[in-house]
Amino acid sequence: MTGTTGSTGTAGTAGHRILLDGRSVLLSDRPLKSGGEAAVYTVVGDDGVVVKVYRDTPGPQQERRLERMLTMTPLGGRPTDRAQPSELAWPTAQARGADGGFLGYAMQRFGEPDHVRLVGLFTRAQRMRLFPGRVDWRFLLGVGWNLAFMTARMHHEGLVVGDFSSNNVVVDANGFVTFLDCDSIAFTDPATGEYFPCLMQTADYCAPERQKGGPATEAGDDFALAVLVYQLLSVGNHPFGGVPHDSDSQSTVKDNIAASCSYVVQPERVVVPRGVLDPGVLPPELLLLARAAFGPGVADPAARPSAEAWLRALDLERSRVRVCPARPHHTYGSHLQACPWCGRLERTGQDDFNAAPAAAPVAAAAPARAAVPAPAAAAARPHRLRTALLTLVGLVVLLVLLGQLLSHG
Amino acid sequence: MRDSTHPMTVRNDPRTATLPQQYADLEIENNAQRLPLVLCLDTSHSMLGGPIASLNEALSEWTRELHDDVSLSYSVEVAVLTFGDAGVSAWQGPNLLSPDTRVSPFVPAHRFEPPLLRAAGVTLMAEALELAMQIVAARKTELRQLGLQYYRPQICLVTDGLPTDRTGHPTEAWRRVVPVITAEQRDKRFRLYAIGVGGITDRGEEVLRAFAPAFNARLQGFPFRELLQMMSASANAEQKGAGDEVFEKIFSQFKTQRPAWES
Repeated sequence: MTGTTGSTGTAGTAGHRILLDGRSVLLSDRPLKSGGEAAVYTVVGDDGVVVKVYRDTPGPQQERRLERMLTMTPLGGRPTDRAQPSELAWPTAQARGADGGFLGYAMQRFGEPDHVRLVGLFTRAQRMRLFPGRVDWRFLLGVGWNLAFMTARMHHEGLVVGDFSSNNVVVDANGFVTFLDCDSIAFTDPATGEYFPCLMQTADYCAPERQKGGPATEAGDDFALAVLVYQLLSVGNHPFGGVPHDSDSQSTVKDNIAASCSYVVQPERVVVPRGVLDPGVLPPELLLLARAAFGPGVADPAARPSAEAWLRALDLERSRVRVCPARPHHTYGSHLQACPWCGRLERTGQDDFNAAPAAAPVAAAAPARAAVPAPAAAAARPHRLRTALLTLVGLVVLLVLLGQLLSHG
Repeated sequence: MRDSTHPMTVRNDPRTATLPQQYADLEIENNAQRLPLVLCLDTSHSMLGGPIASLNEALSEWTRELHDDVSLSYSVEVAVLTFGDAGVSAWQGPNLLSPDTRVSPFVPAHRFEPPLLRAAGVTLMAEALELAMQIVAARKTELRQLGLQYYRPQICLVTDGLPTDRTGHPTEAWRRVVPVITAEQRDKRFRLYAIGVGGITDRGEEVLRAFAPAFNARLQGFPFRELLQMMSASANAEQKGAGDEVFEKIFSQFKTQRPAWES
């Protein structure tokens, strides 16, 4: 709309010079992202790195945490193909001012368009924009698998995500995931025994005991993982969405979690928005886990399925996915007799995985055959290869995990 | 709540003839908790020239950022109200709404396009705030009926002047709004930000302080871009479920226009 873009902003500050592990670098003039706690800057001349600068001078605890993190290499040594990004945006260097004061840290950059926050998979419009032609239900299942895999391995190494949400995990075009805000991870330093708690949280993914001020735990991660996997498998629907019939005027996801009110378990308690998917789109094994997590598992952390349980159930389903014969990008669970996405298209006029036919009037919901282009064959091939590879990796890790379980039990 | 029966101005704008219904209920699959955001903008005569041009430019740029932000565009809904000309106007994206319409001015962020604003006329600031409260309450009711949850809405009032009556004379009538708006904020019905820009006077600042005791500011020049970015940062904090101290921190950083490394 406007021809000129503004040159407003903090005028005159043409970037700021800082030290990364003693090496002098110039930060970008404007932050990439800016919040209450910190701002993230790019480094001039180095596209692969970003620097997180804390707003308030970080205390000695945070400085110590970063110092110890830089001695660790978590989730290392795993067999990965070169195309796979790391699962953790682990700190790579300390950031200090010219006076030597601690400012924050550097990490590898995982930015758009190659890496998109998970929330980008949760609405049709964003899927079409950010993952054109890439996303079907099998893809979402694979992302869930990768999330469960990452969580299980972190727990195995004594790391607790703590602040686990659709906003601090990014996903790439192959469905690989990376956790971004590693400086909030809770862990005990294996070398010194020091404990570093997680002080951040996101209300919509926060288990009740954490809402009440409890510490970050593996069970808390398992709760958030359950919500995220459910959202992926139901194309974005939050399992604690919906307005309870008996609620006061302010009803939120957070309130529904605290009240253990999920339509996945007790649909009669809430007004469910039109267009929310029937939980039955989840295959039985996965639905069982979801019902455990959003039923008894809400109040009782011990009743929540673990990341490993999710991983096993997701793995089982990956080999069974059905492909819709009628429309591209329609894949679904083996328990279903008919394509749920075709069913939804007929009911709502909206195809969750395909761009709308050009210039079709809103009312003309009659499914026009071949209105969408067929997927490129080339795009499908690496997907299958990757699936096989991941399954193999998954089996190896499962065996290792099972072995550990057996030897400890 | 309202005491003026015709809060919105009718303009001979051809765009009002074809009211777009395309925003209603489009995202049938999206059950995300919504975050209503109201921009309540002064478009009175004093904004003529550079200020209104810079506001339009900032709105365009902010719109692009909003579209690019996967998290905000997932759940934020934007409504624009303007006070200028001969009254108060509500916009649904770029389209001026007719005053007697029942159509909601809220547009999902990823479909939002800004209106092209012109500056003229009087400053019905109090009436604009009343309309802001009214559309927020109406939207909450709609969302609840749809089974959709919502975060605490944000209202951002921006002005460079003093409240006037319909003839353009300064008035003390704004004081009647203060008890209502104070109670609504106390009950956490919304967060109100009141920002004075340009050459706003001490009296102008006093009005803003009365409206928004927690989040008021008097800024040099017309830093609309920073202002809208602050609204985005607050929306992010709201989505995260942050505590009041985070909102205060974001606001004080905005007020002082301080980069991160000068903490």
